[in-house]
Amino acid sequence: MSFTSFSFFVLIAVCCAGYYLIPARHRHIFLLALSVVYYIAGGPVFLLYLLFAALTTYFGARVAAKGKKAAVAVPLLLDFGVLAVLKYTPLAVSLLNHLPGADFPIVRFALPLGISFYTFQSAGYLLDVYWGRCEAELSFPRYLLFVAFFPQLMQGPIGRYGSLAPQLREAHAFDIANIRRGLWRIGWGLFKKMVIADNAALYVNRIFDDYASLKSLGIEGVLMYSVQLYMDFSGGIDVALGIAEMIGIHLDENFRQPYFAQTLTDFWHRWHITLGNGMKDYLFYPISLSGWMSRLRKWSRRKLGKEIGRAFPIGVANLIIFFVVGIWHGAEWHFIVYGLYNGLIIAVSGLLTGTFRRWKKSLGITDRTRWFQAFRMLRTFVIVNISWFLDRSGSVRQAFQMFRNSFRGPIFSIHVIDPSSPSYCMSHFLPILAGCAVVLAVSIMKERGTDVLKKVSSLPSWVLAAALIGILIISAVFGNKDVGGFIYANF
Amino acid sequence: MEEILAILEDIQPDADYENCTTLIDDGILSSFDVLSIVGELEDTYNIRILPVEVVPANFNSARAIYDMVQRLRG
Repeated sequence: MSFTSFSFFVLIAVCCAGYYLIPARHRHIFLLALSVVYYIAGGPVFLLYLLFAALTTYFGARVAAKGKKAAVAVPLLLDFGVLAVLKYTPLAVSLLNHLPGADFPIVRFALPLGISFYTFQSAGYLLDVYWGRCEAELSFPRYLLFVAFFPQLMQGPIGRYGSLAPQLREAHAFDIANIRRGLWRIGWGLFKKMVIADNAALYVNRIFDDYASLKSLGIEGVLMYSVQLYMDFSGGIDVALGIAEMIGIHLDENFRQPYFAQTLTDFWHRWHITLGNGMKDYLFYPISLSGWMSRLRKWSRRKLGKEIGRAFPIGVANLIIFFVVGIWHGAEWHFIVYGLYNGLIIAVSGLLTGTFRRWKKSLGITDRTRWFQAFRMLRTFVIVNISWFLDRSGSVRQAFQMFRNSFRGPIFSIHVIDPSSPSYCMSHFLPILAGCAVVLAVSIMKERGTDVLKKVSSLPSWVLAAALIGILIISAVFGNKDVGGFIYANF
Repeated sequence: MEEILAILEDIQPDADYENCTTLIDDGILSSFDVLSIVGELEDTYNIRILPVEVVPANFNSARAIYDMVQRLRG
């Protein structure tokens, strides 16, 4: 059930009406029932996978709360084992087929909706309980609601038990301000998704699918992809946050103007924030602070000196994390190289932090120098876009080929999606351009500290109604009906 | 305390450690910086800092870092 389908809007309406009409003590059961309905709509059998992850972590956490390490290890192995079999079997078989005489058929399993997200979220809960960051949940229905809460099930944000579960438990009184904020947020998300992302997808699909004949349009393709991916993913998150907001639940933000990032590290603090925070707390810190990393640090300080030696093991841990981030995106080599590319740049810049600092000092530049900030933003945008070649291409070879060909001819064509119909092309290109201008203006305001959502939520109701109707009309007239699903729903 | 301030200055000199209480919340210290600080503290004070200690409350100010070190030294 897509966020942009009619049935999903019915689900939202039922959710809001039912939540405030039902007695407070039954509301979690109501939300759970809606979440199950939503999940079953994607395939009844997939519910079993979700229940398996929830049951293993629920019972695991009850025991892990007493400090039993095995109660953490066994559920994690089972749940990530299921994820690995479903998601990574094709990659494993293709690797095995490199062995002499091996010719195993490549089996592809249908992926349960949001499996990466709920596996990560439930694993996070288990670790939080084990590390004493939160109490183990005693009620299974309440815990299942935390894992399966439908707005965030498809593509996040990945919730933390400590902040989400108390909100799911609390009975929120009806507040028209929440409804207005939620509707504005949903409208904003749909605008980004249906008006911008789906139109950009036309260009992206055309250029990336036919890259061999469209040689030099790689830059246009990747810029359109940077627009599509951000608008699609953040638009979906806006819808999820908006639905939760309407019933008084504040999910964690997942984006903070990522293309304004000053460095690649900063980008990852602004892009898919809940995944980054989870990776940091559950993997990066535990790996970096492990005993063998401590020994590596002592060795590297002896061999490489204080400055480089201090950063070296952190860089190694960083590479491991981004390898995981890459493979989390998908079981294909281009995703792994995408992850390692990010990890390598961050690791090298970490190693050279002291050198960069000395250069800046000798040149009289500070991080607050305006032109230097603009330069860093542009540099980071270019670095990120190079990574998008790897992310969107079907293979590493394609990514390199497209990147290499990008500078061998005209780099931009509005008419690439249908050279025989300029008016058709303009009807899809102009919404992208105008939509990006609106998002850019809002992003600048947010970057300067303005609470844009608060401002628009205080406008009269007729403005909200007109905006929502306007978005639907613009989507119907200028939208791309061939694209509907969200990119991150495939993870 | 002076020793901790010296470690912080060495790793990330562009911060006001005397007054700032939002070193993590405001992104002044990155995760790279935090781990560098942890490494230095472990080596200097011969303590073990576990991942559960690496939370904003323990690294938001020089005073919080000092208090954590004192607690871990017993």
